[in-house]
Amino acid sequence: MDIFDLQWDIVWNYRDMFIRGIGITIILTLSGYFGGIILGLLLGLGKLSQNKLIYWPCKLYVDLFRGTPMLVQILLIHLAVIPTIFGQSLGYMVSGITALVLNCAAYNAEIFRAGIQSIDKGQMEAARSLGLTHNQAMKKVILPQAFRRMIPPLGNEFIALLKDSSLVTVIAAPDILYASKVVAGASFRFWEPYIVAALLYLVLTYVVTKVVAFIEKRFSNSYVPRKAEGREAR
Amino acid sequence: MIKIENLHKYFGKLEVLKGIDYEIQEKQVVCVIGPSGSGKSTFLRCINMLEEVTDGAIYIEDIKINAPKTNINAIRAEVGMVFQQFNLFPHMNVIDNVTMAPMQIRKMSRADAEQLGHELLKKVGLDSKAYSYPEQLSGGQQQRVAIARALAMKPKAILFDEPTSALDPEMVKEVLDVMKNLASEGMTMIVVTHEMGFAREVGDRVVFMDGGFIVEEGTPEEIFGNPQNERTKAFLGKVL
Repeated sequence: MDIFDLQWDIVWNYRDMFIRGIGITIILTLSGYFGGIILGLLLGLGKLSQNKLIYWPCKLYVDLFRGTPMLVQILLIHLAVIPTIFGQSLGYMVSGITALVLNCAAYNAEIFRAGIQSIDKGQMEAARSLGLTHNQAMKKVILPQAFRRMIPPLGNEFIALLKDSSLVTVIAAPDILYASKVVAGASFRFWEPYIVAALLYLVLTYVVTKVVAFIEKRFSNSYVPRKAEGREAR
Repeated sequence: MIKIENLHKYFGKLEVLKGIDYEIQEKQVVCVIGPSGSGKSTFLRCINMLEEVTDGAIYIEDIKINAPKTNINAIRAEVGMVFQQFNLFPHMNVIDNVTMAPMQIRKMSRADAEQLGHELLKKVGLDSKAYSYPEQLSGGQQQRVAIARALAMKPKAILFDEPTSALDPEMVKEVLDVMKNLASEGMTMIVVTHEMGFAREVGDRVVFMDGGFIVEEGTPEEIFGNPQNERTKAFLGKVL
């Protein structure tokens, strides 16, 4: 059976490319994610705004980026938006990170909005009744509680983004998947390079899953610091 | 000290307050009683603008609070509020719950705020719980912390919105005792309550509301001893 005659040395010969690919994937994902958190928080707050001039642009943005394929967004940004604005391409890194940030922000916006809305409105009322401004109440009372509830969905979003970052292969960003494509193109072998790509993504998502699980556990349910538990029991 | 003139409040098309006029003097304890849906909580929430006033005017020390120019945050800092559901901040321990607002708004130093916080917690009998978290406290304890939190802003008046309605019966007394203490110290208080015993014993004035109006108002003796209005009589007949 031909398909079991796997030749891993083909991939091994391109190991430098895969290592670089891992680096690119990680850089793209981290930049996209943290950019997406900041922009997403602003958009999420915007979607909670009473002011229609703030609400509608934010809603439009989120609907647009969640309602269109990321692949289309990447191509539009790389081939149309950036060349039109800057007169030339700024390379796969700028386009790739821009696309991931913009896309991730739309999903994070919904996570932030839902997290903030899930906090009992009595919390805002209590803070306001003490004389805190809306922004002070958000910062000191609502967001610290909301962030905790956002951890699981934000972890899921990170994993989704990590996998979706493979789409930047289409603009020749040399990430993990791109390395596989090069190997496949050069050797006409398909099992080995794509299995390696799949395994590398699997390892990365596994690590992230573990980290998220740790953070979730750390911030689970109770606000009582672990040390104080029991000692301060009623 | 607090003056309400022709206060109207609509929720959509539903008129909840249909023209309230009332004046509360300094150091008075005013208990607001009445059936559910009579508008008494809404009335209270309008006084610190947790509900937007549809029409009419509310003055606190001669400042019209529902005027566009008024800094509502400054007014709220002077009028404390205690909620039925306590609404303590679950992510902060007890002392931080109490000190947060004075530090944020009065720009008090942490040391000063904590000293004040411990004093107030002693006053409500909970200084031993200063470093516990709200979830570790009983309902009655949480409500006493909420009262200390309101006091930390050194308010000129405190609004109580059914402060004992969410409590188990055996915890009602500890909260009412704290409130009685406050009253005896001369705090101006408006208390929406179903605790007729408290209203009778501690209230200087009792206000009976029904259907969005103040139906009857008077001293506890007048309202409980000799109610004039038929609706007051009917209500008291059911609850006493």
